[in-house]
Amino acid sequence: MSVYKHTYRAYGGRITPLWTRVLVLARYAFAEAWSSKITVALFTLSLLPTVVFIVIIYVANNPIARALIMRGSSREFAIDAHYFFLILQTQSWIALAITAWVAPRLISYDLSDNALPILLSRPISRFGYILGKLIALLASLSAVTWIPCLLLFAYQAYSSPGPWISDNLRIAAGLLVGAVIWIAFLSILGLALSSWVRWRIVATGIIFAAIFVPAGVGGVMSAILRTRWGFLLNIPYMMSVLWRRLLGAPDFMRFGGSLPTTAIAAMLVIICMASVAMLNARIRAREVVRG
Amino acid sequence: MSDRIIFDNVSKFYGEILGVNRISLNIPPGITTLVGPNGSGKTTLMNLMTGLVQPSSGSITVLGISPGNATEFFRNVGYCTQFDSFPRGLLGWQFVLDSLLLHGMPKSEAYKLTMEALERAQLGDAAGRKIAGYSKGMRQKIRLAQAIAHHPKVLVLDEPLNGLDPVARAESLALFQELGRQGMHVIISSHILDEVDRISDRVVLITGGYLIAEGNIHEVRQEVRDKPMQVLIRCDRPEVLASKMFAVNHCVEARLHEDGKGVFLRTGDIDQFYFMLNGIAAEGLVKIDAVTPADDDANAIYQYLIGTDGGAS
Repeated sequence: MSVYKHTYRAYGGRITPLWTRVLVLARYAFAEAWSSKITVALFTLSLLPTVVFIVIIYVANNPIARALIMRGSSREFAIDAHYFFLILQTQSWIALAITAWVAPRLISYDLSDNALPILLSRPISRFGYILGKLIALLASLSAVTWIPCLLLFAYQAYSSPGPWISDNLRIAAGLLVGAVIWIAFLSILGLALSSWVRWRIVATGIIFAAIFVPAGVGGVMSAILRTRWGFLLNIPYMMSVLWRRLLGAPDFMRFGGSLPTTAIAAMLVIICMASVAMLNARIRAREVVRG
Repeated sequence: MSDRIIFDNVSKFYGEILGVNRISLNIPPGITTLVGPNGSGKTTLMNLMTGLVQPSSGSITVLGISPGNATEFFRNVGYCTQFDSFPRGLLGWQFVLDSLLLHGMPKSEAYKLTMEALERAQLGDAAGRKIAGYSKGMRQKIRLAQAIAHHPKVLVLDEPLNGLDPVARAESLALFQELGRQGMHVIISSHILDEVDRISDRVVLITGGYLIAEGNIHEVRQEVRDKPMQVLIRCDRPEVLASKMFAVNHCVEARLHEDGKGVFLRTGDIDQFYFMLNGIAAEGLVKIDAVTPADDDANAIYQYLIGTDGGAS
């Protein structure tokens, strides 16, 4: 039996608030996401459409440049809600590609390395762990969605004469809200699907499949049954309808009417809740043993 | 605040798979070794102790704190897992520093504690290198450093000696011993029984999810009455001693030591055995130099109670 000296003293100093600890995990995740050359390549690619959109805005607002380019043509450049819808749509699909590449890196490594016990044996909950990953993914996706969209809006506001900005503030709000809904949805779905697959490449494929396979099924259902409700499985279509409404652009009309906003919102919430349930089942500090 | 780790009738099932069943323990400070074959439930017991899994039934408190009180609980518990799980691209010291930041230490305090932990784990210059380039032994050391860095009162170590060379093993054992003597709870699971045995205050034997025995190693050995105890007696005339002991019917087995200067004797009644031995020594027939229990260790208890096939005998 030991003779205990009881000289040991546990740490009794100040403790930082919980949210700062979550940021440590977010920093890990952010570094992991951007350590890949493919992430950097995708981000660089995402800048190309932005450059094209800037040039178009410049030409649309500069009579001399427009005259030089549009010689003999009567076509007008309209920088309006539809134009910003195209910008948001383009950037959002680039965000999907980045999610499909980055999300599996954030989760699969921890699962395959059995890192969860060592991370969760800290005063940080499973929710805190997911939140840290989510913050890193949201920050990465923000860089290719709402940030360039709002910068383009600001450039258009700067370049256009007089009252354009006051007449189009709704577009700015729509760009921000539409992009945030999309990247939040993509992040939760991406992390949830990644948590169920140990192989990153397979997880990347599954994220694309989760978006496009139900869309095909929904399209077939709608065509056969002549109903609009099949499009509730079509995430690209649903998001396009939602973005158009948020920006104030003309609506899509298929099979006698478009989807109600409440139905789209409900469908997105259902998918997010299913994703949260998947994360809850998988993100545990030990291997799940099935009987 | 209690100074005990208490398991009160704890069971853990993973679906239909048994993790551990009806475990009741009351662990005081000092070094406790968890002993059991692979799949016996040692890691489940450690995960329960560190709040990483919740019991299916029963309750656990560590120093009077429930795992539900996460901030207070994890402030007192340090866990060194057996898995190679490090965030990629980090240097050794960054890993320890970040783990302290996750514990909620302010940066200045975290830097100070990081350096102290790295020194205690004797990582030296390796702390400035990427963990990805570490040897297995260095990985063990950096895991140990992160487990002790926040000054926990309970240190749970899952196979902490795996991959360490003999010198590093001796250094680690000395560190565990020092921490145990200072009043820390050190819970170790290890397959290197010969080495942890030397520093353990008590042993917890577990197999198939069931607790087989627990307590001080010598007390547990004495409880195993159906296995005669083996004693090594160093003396000048071992064959005479053996014949005397057989004559008074207190031996069931005798084996001469390889060097001819001692004898291993097995007896079913250790108290009577020592009494008789005193008598023989007093007669002056044999000059006894040393008497040592030869199977009074964790390894022997493991063999007797669990056996090499992992089933309790």
